[in-house]
Amino acid sequence: MKWDEISETCKENKKWHAVASWTWDAQDETCGICRMAFDGCCPDCKLPGDDCPLIWGACNHAFHLHCILKWVNSQTSQAHCPMCRREWQFKG
Amino acid sequence: MTSSSAASRKNLSKIACNRLQKELVEWQVNPPAGFKHKVTDNLQRWVIEVAGAPGTLYSNETYQLQVDFPENYPMEAPQVIFLHPAPLHPHIYSNGHICLDILYDSWSPAMTVSSICISILSMLSSSTVKQRPEDNDRYVKNCRNGRSPRRQGGGSMMTKYDN
Repeated sequence: MKWDEISETCKENKKWHAVASWTWDAQDETCGICRMAFDGCCPDCKLPGDDCPLIWGACNHAFHLHCILKWVNSQTSQAHCPMCRREWQFKG
Repeated sequence: MTSSSAASRKNLSKIACNRLQKELVEWQVNPPAGFKHKVTDNLQRWVIEVAGAPGTLYSNETYQLQVDFPENYPMEAPQVIFLHPAPLHPHIYSNGHICLDILYDSWSPAMTVSSICISILSMLSSSTVKQRPEDNDRYVKNCRNGRSPRRQGGGSMMTKYDN
């Protein structure tokens, strides 16, 4: 169905319910840095989803991308994973 | 809210403010055993009462911790000191400064006020002797900042207390 067809359908129906759900495939439910839910976004963002993605380390710990970048950039030497202290490397 | 705390709260970043509010709620629901947060309207400075654990050198004693959070908490550790009088301990200076690696080089943003408190109580509980650090007088005399000591090369301070 093309967008203009949908929009025609909407005009006809006057109602259009978007039904969808999504979740990140992360082991924990909250980011260990900001403590916000992974299904939400980091405190600096307004909308969860592609604008505030999760990122995994080589050690398999997940964080909001914005949160781990703040941590990595605040370190003068090699940053460590906040959870397991292994050297932080983005999962390839 | 007083104007001073309003001013200090403005200094916290959004992530710091957000996280501290969550930590405060978590603390109220599930405070670490032996600790009492003295309620104020200042999110950026917490004063916490700590009771020495039973069966240790510090049982039946209470002390006060002052925790100051930097603007970019939790990327940077909070400053934690004992208010006067500080417990007699080989890693606690008479001015209240604490030599504990997680407050400096070993800080991780996944740590919380609760986990710091537990580490400090564990440090107190494992002490076998009530005495000041060997370099106490020199350190306190030369200390110009309000911060607890960073790791110092060659000093006696970083001998591990958990050996």
